[in-house]
Amino acid sequence: MLQTEQEYIRILRSRLEGTLPDDELNDIISDYTEHFRIGKADGRTEEDLFSSLGSPEDVAREIRATHLVRKAEGDRSWKNIIHAVLATLGLGLFNLVFVLVPFVILVVLLFVVFFAGIACAVFGPVAGIFAVLQMAGLPAFAIWQSPAAGIFFSLGITTLGLLLVIGDYYLARFFYHIGIRYLKWNIGVITGTEQIP
Amino acid sequence: MNIQFKKGVLEICVLSVLAKKDCYGYELVQEISKRIDISEGTIYPLLHRLKDEGLVTTFLQESAGGPPRKYYRLTENGRKEEHEKKEEWLQFAASVNALLEGTNDAAD
Repeated sequence: MLQTEQEYIRILRSRLEGTLPDDELNDIISDYTEHFRIGKADGRTEEDLFSSLGSPEDVAREIRATHLVRKAEGDRSWKNIIHAVLATLGLGLFNLVFVLVPFVILVVLLFVVFFAGIACAVFGPVAGIFAVLQMAGLPAFAIWQSPAAGIFFSLGITTLGLLLVIGDYYLARFFYHIGIRYLKWNIGVITGTEQIP
Repeated sequence: MNIQFKKGVLEICVLSVLAKKDCYGYELVQEISKRIDISEGTIYPLLHRLKDEGLVTTFLQESAGGPPRKYYRLTENGRKEEHEKKEEWLQFAASVNALLEGTNDAAD
């Protein structure tokens, strides 16, 4: 590959287009064109400047990851956090362990709690209805030894289910907040030297 | 030195150089790379992050015989951050040095 200014800028632009808004992209490109311009005026060759800048792919990976994490921070959604996590994975192979594994564990945990909550919130009222029908003297619904205990149990399970779902929402918000802070820290420390090919 | 450590301290280095004077990108990169061996290209993403976080601002200034250059300057928050980070770093470095020298003494 030719180590020219044109090539450096081309790679940077092609990797960032579509992710960054145009004004931010142009702002970044202008930094690098200025770097080449002043470096050349300083008597250095394009090859020299290129190789001391390091790989434009690495630079683009880092800028993308930073941008997508900030986007996920400002606009909370599954889509944004998944994009941010994927962009961070590109920064280094070990982020499979330090980002992907914790992320998957947390997502599974949140889903398990959510579905457990939903299950309780559905099962509770059904059990309650059975108890009421049993009280009304319908033998087909006589699943409880004591219908009163059935109603009590049903209220308990329903409440537990709703608390789990509400708790899960706050847990998700908490993890999201902590996760963004962690990703920012991660980007600030991890370099692109061991990137996935 | 392991490159993983270097990136972590790059931010305080950039803030510290800018605390002494406003710099254009190339100048800042030279200041840092003459002391620390890094990929120079990683300083610009860092500058953008600092700008996003409101720690630095940019302004254009005419240069002798050439188009205007983009200068980076610390904001008020940037100065505070620089001060705090510097204190933290100096204390940390002093503790590590004390530990390392202590270990060497014991080994001798």
